[in-house]
Amino acid sequence: MSHFLAPQIVLLKNGTDTSQGKGQLISNMNACQAVGEILRTTLGPHGMDKLIHEGRQVTISNDGATILKLLNIVHPAAKTLVDISRSQDDEVGDGTTSVTILACEFMRNSKEFVEEGMHPRVIIKGYRAAADLALARIKELAVDITGNSESERRGMLIKCASTALNSKLISHHKGFFSEMVTDAVLSLDDDLDLAMVGVKKASGGAVNDSLLVEGVAFKKTFSYAGFEQQPKKFLNPKILLLNVELELKAEKENAEVRVKSTKEYQDIVDAEWKIIYDKLDKIVQTGAKIVLSRLAIGDLATQYFADRDIFCAGRVPQEDMNRVSRAVGGAVQSSVVNIPADALGACGLFEEKSFGNERFNLFKECSHAKTASIIIRGGSEQFMEETERSLHDSIMIVRRAIKYPSAVAGGGAIEMELSRYLRDQAKQIQGKQQLVMNAFAKSLEVIPRVLCDNAGFDSTDVLYKLRARHAEGDAGRWFGVDITTGGVCDTWEKFVWEPALVRLNAIAAATEATCLILSIDETITNPKYEAAAPGAPGMPGGMMGM
Amino acid sequence: MSLMFDENGRPFIIIQEQEQKQRLRGIDALKANIAAARAVARTLRTSLGPKGMDKMLQSPDGDVTVTNDGATILKEMELKHEIAKLMVELSKAQDDEIGDGTTGVVVLAGALLEKAEMLLDKGIHPSRISEGFERAVDIAMPVLDSISEQIDFEQNDHEQLRRVAMTTLNSKIVHRIREELGKVCVDAILAVADMERREVNLDLIKLDGKVGGKLEDTALVHGIVVDKDFSHPQMPKRVDDAKICILTCPFEPPKPKTKHKLEIDSVEAYKEMQVAEKAYFTDMVQRVKASGATLVICQWGFDDEANYLLLKNELPAIRWVGGVEIELIAIATGGRIIPRFEDVSEQKLGYAKTVREMSFGTTRDRMIVLEECASMKAVTIFVRGGNKMVVEEAKRSIHDALCIVRNLVTDNRIVYGGGAAEVACSLAISEAADQIEGLEQYGVRAFADALDSIPMALAENSGMQPIESLSHAKAKQMREKNPRIGINCMKYSTDDMKEQYVYESLRSKKQQLQHAAQVVKMILKIDDVIEDKNYN
Repeated sequence: MSHFLAPQIVLLKNGTDTSQGKGQLISNMNACQAVGEILRTTLGPHGMDKLIHEGRQVTISNDGATILKLLNIVHPAAKTLVDISRSQDDEVGDGTTSVTILACEFMRNSKEFVEEGMHPRVIIKGYRAAADLALARIKELAVDITGNSESERRGMLIKCASTALNSKLISHHKGFFSEMVTDAVLSLDDDLDLAMVGVKKASGGAVNDSLLVEGVAFKKTFSYAGFEQQPKKFLNPKILLLNVELELKAEKENAEVRVKSTKEYQDIVDAEWKIIYDKLDKIVQTGAKIVLSRLAIGDLATQYFADRDIFCAGRVPQEDMNRVSRAVGGAVQSSVVNIPADALGACGLFEEKSFGNERFNLFKECSHAKTASIIIRGGSEQFMEETERSLHDSIMIVRRAIKYPSAVAGGGAIEMELSRYLRDQAKQIQGKQQLVMNAFAKSLEVIPRVLCDNAGFDSTDVLYKLRARHAEGDAGRWFGVDITTGGVCDTWEKFVWEPALVRLNAIAAATEATCLILSIDETITNPKYEAAAPGAPGMPGGMMGM
Repeated sequence: MSLMFDENGRPFIIIQEQEQKQRLRGIDALKANIAAARAVARTLRTSLGPKGMDKMLQSPDGDVTVTNDGATILKEMELKHEIAKLMVELSKAQDDEIGDGTTGVVVLAGALLEKAEMLLDKGIHPSRISEGFERAVDIAMPVLDSISEQIDFEQNDHEQLRRVAMTTLNSKIVHRIREELGKVCVDAILAVADMERREVNLDLIKLDGKVGGKLEDTALVHGIVVDKDFSHPQMPKRVDDAKICILTCPFEPPKPKTKHKLEIDSVEAYKEMQVAEKAYFTDMVQRVKASGATLVICQWGFDDEANYLLLKNELPAIRWVGGVEIELIAIATGGRIIPRFEDVSEQKLGYAKTVREMSFGTTRDRMIVLEECASMKAVTIFVRGGNKMVVEEAKRSIHDALCIVRNLVTDNRIVYGGGAAEVACSLAISEAADQIEGLEQYGVRAFADALDSIPMALAENSGMQPIESLSHAKAKQMREKNPRIGINCMKYSTDDMKEQYVYESLRSKKQQLQHAAQVVKMILKIDDVIEDKNYN
């Protein structure tokens, strides 16, 4: 602004945009605010979905991280929000919307302090202190859900899983899916590797026709003539995994053979056939009944295997190959020479099954690592994709809950409790920090507020009831928004449970992001960046669609 | 997207190419989406039922399709709107899983959205509406179970299966000969069905068609029809007790896959090569002959030299048979696919009782039929008809009927069609609705109303008074406690669908309700549409 008055001193490249000071700080916050507004309506059981076009690709989603990723946010400050939602996604897998909304609210409430001239550092310090108190309080409040018996533990995990599904498209079937997800995760080995849960989609069928396969499942790959003559069911088969192309082809690219006479001609042809037949023969000799390859298995090999009652599948996707290899205990071979016997995997049952008009290869009772596959059925591609994303969230939650078995009540209950606690604590603090901590406490109330707004309830009314409840002390600590009636209720009793980790991470990440934004007082934008800005007149349309 | 300005009056650039994006949110987005989906449903509405009309669709390259199959219509329409595409996928999912009822499911979804829009205007939250719809589906499922009946086809009495197939064919252009086609479909399914596992692999039934003749000439061939002819006109047109050699290598000197070069530097060498080449041909034919084969089916072509040799050795041959057909032939005849001549042996030959060439009318079109193959598993339905459009539509209709019969083989429970099942569900749901607490009650009741739109559309398409017919059917169902009363589209003397033999599979009906509710929920849940302005 000042350069309108004073003569300019050119320091930076012409066209570079620098903005600094308080104005910049507030402008950054406003930008974050705008992003938060977009996500606001997706929170909670009555949150709505977004339909986002991205070129030809269309996504319908309710998942905060997915939406932010697809929005292609370029504003440097607002990008922080994308990062925290992503980190929440990576770390916990759920709560990606609430972390963004929290961060925005923290910023909104700190804005007035900045405007009043409080130094950002003071606010940062206050927020950090408040966050520490809040985190400690969550740990104190969290209820252990290890359970006494295996079945009790399962029951508790199911509750966590179903809370994560509450806001999703499949919320009506959350009972069905939360059990499926919990069983899938529980059937894994102790390391709970996410890669060992495969989620596959088959069009058609009702959602509750979706099923859990204890083992690996993947779609039938492209097959050549002869495939149908192969057996499709084995008991205790040995499985060979290859990274070899089984096709009649030139062994060396760019090689050229000079043939002197017709006799030699036949020799070369024979030699080529011999190579492929040798390969196939070696495979058969290993005793494997199922042959999978990352690369193509041609028609010749398909028929050769069909003649010897061996099942084969070529061009198996890498991801599925890895899963099979870990589940059945086989090592992927890149040559067929000298295959050691222990490189073969084994499983109890292999069969090909069709779901709708998709055929799946199922490996069950695998000998090594335990795996699980969920096959989603549903009416449309979009529906199944959103189901997959929702299940991912739920799976992550269950994994987290197994590793850190403590939970808090959802539906805004924990936020209200923290808010009350911080307000109480603030009274003992002297100076500006008290104001800041109160602002932090106020910001936490945004979660129940948005939950109410999205469900069409009077949020002020509900918040007032909640505050009253929480002021009563311990008996009211788990009171949250009753999403069906628009009143308040004990959400712990209603089994709206969330792993404590989701909240811990959300509050920590949101505070971090706010502090980061607060500590920025200057943005320097290079002119190149600016050139891509819309609104510049005469922009050729052809440059769009990057 | 609307621009935002910071304190200095400069616009925020938050999202890449912000100006190019447009955003529709809140109730406007919902309304726009509902309108788009309903437009699709409206198109299909007139195609529903035995008196439904067909649509003529012209593709960009001028191909004309006439059909009343919901899934086909929507596919050919090439919709661009995203929500409209959801409806296309809806009918496709029904097609994939069930194969029939693709129109009904879209019409139902459209009706649900219509009701939802009214509730939205009342100010009910969209997710409460869809929650109500799902509650209604939960109510409807046991109702459908309770009114379903098992049909028995274990014995030789396939009459009932035929009835079901005929119900499906009723609404199609081929309904004139639905009895014949129904029989063809049932026979085809039973021929390939695995009764023990209760599974039917539809790939084993090949649908083939040729323009010419009458629809009545459509026949089931217990074997395979290949749209090819014998490679040489002088070969016999019929081979009995054929031993079939199925080859995937061409009748020509083998070529190494490696790049190669044969240098011929003298006349002798040239002659030598010619001799060798000839030797290859005779050798190949000899090998095949020696194995005892009486018919050669080859995936590739062969030149005149080989053709002549085959003729001379009395080996009829068919060339250029596609990979899928080769496989089907191999399965049907019990033969093995042979990749090279060195591997030809007697055990690998397939068997068919007769292989003959059919010719049609005065045209020179010929086809080869392999009948009574060793393992009878594969069959072909061969469709005839006056023009290409009829043949294509007949194929689609038969496909629908096949699917429905297959579904009954896997699950033999049926409900009664003609809107009877919908009316029964509607009655049960509206009764249950009164006892539901909360806003969901409206959604549940709206679902019952939406179900009524199916019998209404049936009546409307049949030229009857929709409301009158529906209320008549409803009242009668209530009075007689008979869930089989439907809309009497065909004006028979009874409106009991059991006596009219209008059957639909239970699974299909259940799935229709579930899928429609699902898609509607998805549409109702979207309140924010962000898209590229330049996209459309």
